[in-house]
Amino acid sequence: MLEGSILKNLVTNHQKANQPLNLGVYYKNTLVALCHALEDFILESSGAPLMITAFQQGKWYLQEAERYGEIAHKACQIAIMATPGSGFAEHPTSQKENVALVSLAGDDPVAEEWHLIILSPSYAAMVLCQELSPEDYGSQGQPAEDLERKFYGFWTFEPELVRETVELAIAHIGNYNQDLQSQLSTQVQGILAASGSGRRDDLGLVVGKVVTYLQNSQTNLSDQVSAGNASSSCLALDENLVSNKMQAFLRLAQLIDQADVNNTMAASQVTALAEAMGQFLDLPAWQIKRLRLSSLLHRLAPSLVKAVSGEDSQAVCSHVSNVEALRLMPRLKAISHIITHQTECWDGSGKPEGLAYDAIPLESRIIGLLAYFQERRSAYEKHPGNNPLAQALDDCQTESGQTFDPKLVEALSLLVMGMQQGMNIQAIQPKIATGMWLLDEYHGQVVSNK
Amino acid sequence: MSNIEAIRAGQIKQLPGVDLEDEDLSGSNLEKLNLAGANLVGADLSSSNLQATRLDGANLLGAKLAEADVRGNLLGANLMQADLNHADLRGSNLRGANLMGANLSGASLAGAFLSGANLAGVNLRGVDLRGADLRGANLNSANLKGANLAQGDLQGASLSQANLEEADLRGANLAGSNLTGANLLCAELEGANLSGANTQGACFVGTIR
Repeated sequence: MLEGSILKNLVTNHQKANQPLNLGVYYKNTLVALCHALEDFILESSGAPLMITAFQQGKWYLQEAERYGEIAHKACQIAIMATPGSGFAEHPTSQKENVALVSLAGDDPVAEEWHLIILSPSYAAMVLCQELSPEDYGSQGQPAEDLERKFYGFWTFEPELVRETVELAIAHIGNYNQDLQSQLSTQVQGILAASGSGRRDDLGLVVGKVVTYLQNSQTNLSDQVSAGNASSSCLALDENLVSNKMQAFLRLAQLIDQADVNNTMAASQVTALAEAMGQFLDLPAWQIKRLRLSSLLHRLAPSLVKAVSGEDSQAVCSHVSNVEALRLMPRLKAISHIITHQTECWDGSGKPEGLAYDAIPLESRIIGLLAYFQERRSAYEKHPGNNPLAQALDDCQTESGQTFDPKLVEALSLLVMGMQQGMNIQAIQPKIATGMWLLDEYHGQVVSNK
Repeated sequence: MSNIEAIRAGQIKQLPGVDLEDEDLSGSNLEKLNLAGANLVGADLSSSNLQATRLDGANLLGAKLAEADVRGNLLGANLMQADLNHADLRGSNLRGANLMGANLSGASLAGAFLSGANLAGVNLRGVDLRGADLRGANLNSANLKGANLAQGDLQGASLSQANLEEADLRGANLAGSNLTGANLLCAELEGANLSGANTQGACFVGTIR
């Protein structure tokens, strides 16, 4: 990683704090689609964002300048860092009042980076990347095809990380233009002050956009293949697009967890429980993996409580759009089916279709039960003097035969007994950058099931 | 009743060294059966139950084991060109087994014992190898992209030219392993032990240590 680059600084800060970032490898092809989706969402966003970008060269900015002109109507400020090229400053977008250009020196490490940082009171997103050095490309050398160039770094919707990076970027801009630095700092403070109040944009819509753009890019790719223009690494490009669609969902699930201050570990804890339950029921390995992925994403759907009580209908609607987005991805059809039916009841009184008994997918039954168990357990843990495991199990047993499958409640009681005797069910955060690991292992199965 | 029907019906418990070349045993229950040293070349065992089955020293060259439950004893078995697509190999004994050219896509190998096994050039992309014992295994030029090797024991393993891009190697033991020319781009190495490993020409860009 290049010393002095924004990515390196961020990674170093997080290593010190012992919160490593999930870096991954991205093809330029993927990054273009990803950045366009995140940028274009600004036009639909309710807030006026600050957007800071870094291009390796001015000519890459010029490719985007028309689109940036449109975004400038909506954004409160755009700052563009790049090594200057011909026509760089002359483009009409560059002349706009709220567009600032920072001409990077040729030896600045940031000139080797590709950044897109968006911060508004209602929306935060960023892409931080560096291209591989010639040595890193290894024996095969640098690719001839521009879209096959490789970058490493990461992208996220996490507001806290975006805020941190904005500060690093503004500090870097200060090396060139101190007036701009203080102007941007003031704007960030304004945005942060406003972000406490007011509604945030529906992330389900952003994720939907990301998935659609990556999907379009994939369609273009397969058109090229059928037109006979295929290069050897088309498969790798295709896979990278799929992997990033997966990442979009996993990041959304992560944010849903973080946003719920009362229960921040729900998805990872339910996943760990579901995996233990799957082992306990001796499910085949492919089904355990499908269960794992569904559990990680289970909060993308309305939770049991909300669906039953009918409260907070706004939230339910926005979550449904998330499951809709899942269906955009053919390989996730089985997962979206499982998640949709987690709110069914054993006796047929549940939603959305009123399925009963074995007609409810097994994975949906397991997740429905474990999500309720985890939610009760974390609620009991808040008060000292409780016995969270036993009390949460008791709540589940009360619903056995009505809401939950009695066989599964029985299996859960054995699992709880094991936990009381010290069995360790660890909740591990998945490695988001390699979402393919979760997907790959069962998609063949999904196809053969249809 | 033919031999095959009797095996399918679970009436036979002991068949060491039996010749079942190219037989169709798909979907059958062979739990705890003794098939040590059996000839199963090209046999169809897909979706069968081979839990705790003895297959040590068996010849499974080109056998079809897709979606089978193979959590048994495969010590020194020949699994060259075998189809293990989505097979369940969790915790199975594959010590010294030969898996060259086998299809392991989507297989689960968490906690499997693979010490001294031959996996050279095998496609293990995204495969679950958590906590697997790979001591001294041959993984030269293997594709381990995005594989989960967390807490795995790779002491003295040969990983020359292997692709470990984005692999999860958290807490893995790579002491004394050969990583010459390996690609570790964006691999996670938090808590991994690399002491005495040969990393000449290996690419460590973006790794987290």
